[in-house]
Amino acid sequence: MLAYIARRLIAMPLLLLGVITVAFLLSHFTSADPLTSIIGERQMNNPAVVEAARARWGLDRSLPEQYLVYLKNLLTGDFGTSFRTRQPVAQDLLVRLPATLELVIAAMIVGTVFGVALGVIAARFQNRTPDNLARLFALFGSSVPVFWSGLVVLFIFSVQLGWLPGPGRIGSRMSAPELVTGFYTIDTLVAGDWAGFRSALAQLVLPASVLGWTVTGIVSRMVRASMLDVLGQEYILAARAKGAGQLRILFHHALRNAMLPTLTILGFSFAYLITGAILTETIFSWPGIGSYAVSAARGLDHPAIIGVTIVGGAAFLITNLLTDIAYALVDPRVKIGARATA
Amino acid sequence: MKPHLPGLLGGVSAAALAFSAALVAPAAAQDQPLVIARNLEINSLDPHRAFCDTCQIYLSSTYQGLVKLGPDEKSVVPSLATEWTANDDQTQFTFTLAADAVFSDGSPVEAKDVKWTFERLKNIQGDPSFMMAGISSIETPDEKTVVVNMENPNSEFMGILAAPYVGIINSDVAAENGASAGADAATADQAETWFLANSAGSGPYVLDTYRPDDELRFVRNENYWQDAAPIGEIVIDQVADAVSQAQMLQSGQADIAMQVDPDTASTINSPDITIETVPSYNFIYVMFSPGAEGNQVPLDLEVRQALAYAIDYQGIIDFTVGGEGEMQASPIPNGFPGTEGLPMPEENLDKARELLAAKGLEDGFAIDVTVASMNVYGVDLALLMQKIQQDFARINVTINIQPVASAVWREQIANPGIPFSARFYAPDYYGSAQYVQFFGMIPDSWWERNASGQGKVDLVNQKEVDLLQQALASSGEDMEKAYHEIALEMINDRIIVPVVSPNLVLAYRSEIDGVRYSACCNLPLAEISRK
Repeated sequence: MLAYIARRLIAMPLLLLGVITVAFLLSHFTSADPLTSIIGERQMNNPAVVEAARARWGLDRSLPEQYLVYLKNLLTGDFGTSFRTRQPVAQDLLVRLPATLELVIAAMIVGTVFGVALGVIAARFQNRTPDNLARLFALFGSSVPVFWSGLVVLFIFSVQLGWLPGPGRIGSRMSAPELVTGFYTIDTLVAGDWAGFRSALAQLVLPASVLGWTVTGIVSRMVRASMLDVLGQEYILAARAKGAGQLRILFHHALRNAMLPTLTILGFSFAYLITGAILTETIFSWPGIGSYAVSAARGLDHPAIIGVTIVGGAAFLITNLLTDIAYALVDPRVKIGARATA
Repeated sequence: MKPHLPGLLGGVSAAALAFSAALVAPAAAQDQPLVIARNLEINSLDPHRAFCDTCQIYLSSTYQGLVKLGPDEKSVVPSLATEWTANDDQTQFTFTLAADAVFSDGSPVEAKDVKWTFERLKNIQGDPSFMMAGISSIETPDEKTVVVNMENPNSEFMGILAAPYVGIINSDVAAENGASAGADAATADQAETWFLANSAGSGPYVLDTYRPDDELRFVRNENYWQDAAPIGEIVIDQVADAVSQAQMLQSGQADIAMQVDPDTASTINSPDITIETVPSYNFIYVMFSPGAEGNQVPLDLEVRQALAYAIDYQGIIDFTVGGEGEMQASPIPNGFPGTEGLPMPEENLDKARELLAAKGLEDGFAIDVTVASMNVYGVDLALLMQKIQQDFARINVTINIQPVASAVWREQIANPGIPFSARFYAPDYYGSAQYVQFFGMIPDSWWERNASGQGKVDLVNQKEVDLLQQALASSGEDMEKAYHEIALEMINDRIIVPVVSPNLVLAYRSEIDGVRYSACCNLPLAEISRK
């Protein structure tokens, strides 16, 4: 397994290079000149301003030259400077990636816990009221758009009930904690700021629940289907015959075997949400990678677009690898890296 | 044992309630920071590269100009300069600086800082650099006197100096951090990143932190040389949409919401919140480009007049901003010099049909419309176009709407041109020349170039050129009269047709005082206090 992991890790930079090249070319072949988003309308007719901006942002060089300069800078960790935020892209990503990871991890925890629980309940009570309720809940999770559910939960829990705070990563009257990990819940604890920790945790509840709900829908349906499949197996019957309790059958015998396909979904969902939590980030004013990506695309911010693509590509590659490893850990029959035999 | 689902759900609900109660922070104390909910959309915090609505708020709070707009939003009053004079032909301006004015680091504001600031603004070739165009030299006879010489008369120079982009920078501090004012500043200046984390002005606030797409935080300038700002700390929180802004206001998380549209405002019914609707200087306009490649019929003056007559202006105000807007006669907004008594746009279908018939177009024609997909000042430009689509259908004119990203729109408007579209504008400072220079049919104005298809069609209106020179060389009533005549010419051009000046909704917690809209600075932070 170690050799397999090593091979995958070695291949990763090559795959990322491919991703970078494609992203670089695609972003440079868009129909609009990025200068249109760098310079205001009034100055677009001013040749001196246009020329100065081209030189400043390196847009006066040929495409191959820009590509080589970009790769050379990348080797030193320089992702370029964002046309939009005017800050180094690496710095932008360093702030936004932990923000997104904190949200996505919390959402995945919510989604997995509720998804697995609902899936098990649905399978246990197949075609009965709990099953129907769980499926309805899952259906809503998958189909209700986040921009609607986000605003509704904000209205109910923040405006009407006042139980939870509104948008943002930390109370709007508080200062952000000193950057250590970029996870506000951790950084506030590191700083010994209990009020900040409570605030950061409270801020996380609604966006994580809304985003987690979408995962709940997918996971619960997958768990339910897998559980129903497994519960019909002969070894479950044998366990029952041996007098195993209901909970032991459900969680020890059935769920463990039903988790394999669910792991694939979880891995994919995690990687997808790293760059795909755009609407949740927008509604909850969560300054993460998703909203950064959208702003970059709208503003023809090439360095930021490529930076986000690298992060997204790396997220998929790493998550796929971790999913493969998790397969082997959950199911001892799976030997990752082994060649198929006839 | 059979699982007991209702009991389980009840337990979970109770736990969730207890959890949330433990997390919610205590009520805001009076001395806590003031929070403003707003879509930041900041392009820079470098005073000479920044150019955005939030930039105006930031720059006018952290920097001070030589003069500022007075409470009437029209006259200029002293700021760093205590007095000033202009020669008769508006080519030389002399300023005396306040003796006790100091920057936020305590060092005195001197004439060299003014000279350095103006030269950097001119040479850096940034968005607001046009404001210093025409300066031929700057003299500093002593530490507190500045003389600015212009190449040509510019009666609008004092108005320009009240703009936030012309705030005076502490030149020593900025230069130490990579700023350059030399002729090669466009490439030599390396201070923009520093300005994203620091301010170097003499305004009532200083920059505390800026996190793009997250927050902009100010703290009171402890070395401020005038009356200290009432609020010690102000945070502008990034909140993109109007509904979320309103929710933050209602929940007490924000004290002021800046971009609540009239529809959303009408849903707020709380005695704790004050909603004010005030006229703004922002406006939305439609424009015709006779030189665009995609024109299916020549968009000559009579056709443009016909189309302008076919627009239901009041209907647009009702449809786009729920009636919370004003008509605007010309591309110079209501209330700016020269706009008094201008004829408001008129909907007249008979005249429209008559004009089209005279051109042999009574059976109508089609126009391609490319419009940026954006909501600006509460107006969705694509929806606005759908309303105009209905209006034009009444005279058999079909418009084919294609929404695109704003950057794509800006690319296309220059080449190959867009026959008909919609756009928006907000003032950069108080003065009418900016509108003539941008919208007027004078050589090389942005709209002259684009509407003419980069010179394919001759749209230059020589009267506007002459009148602008006249306006810039005069003052008082003569200047007003010249701008009035230019405005009439611009109306008659029928290239730029304003359709609505949306009112601005000021939504804030009732315990907040001093919230107002300013033509130069958007929201003057130093005037805000708690009751």
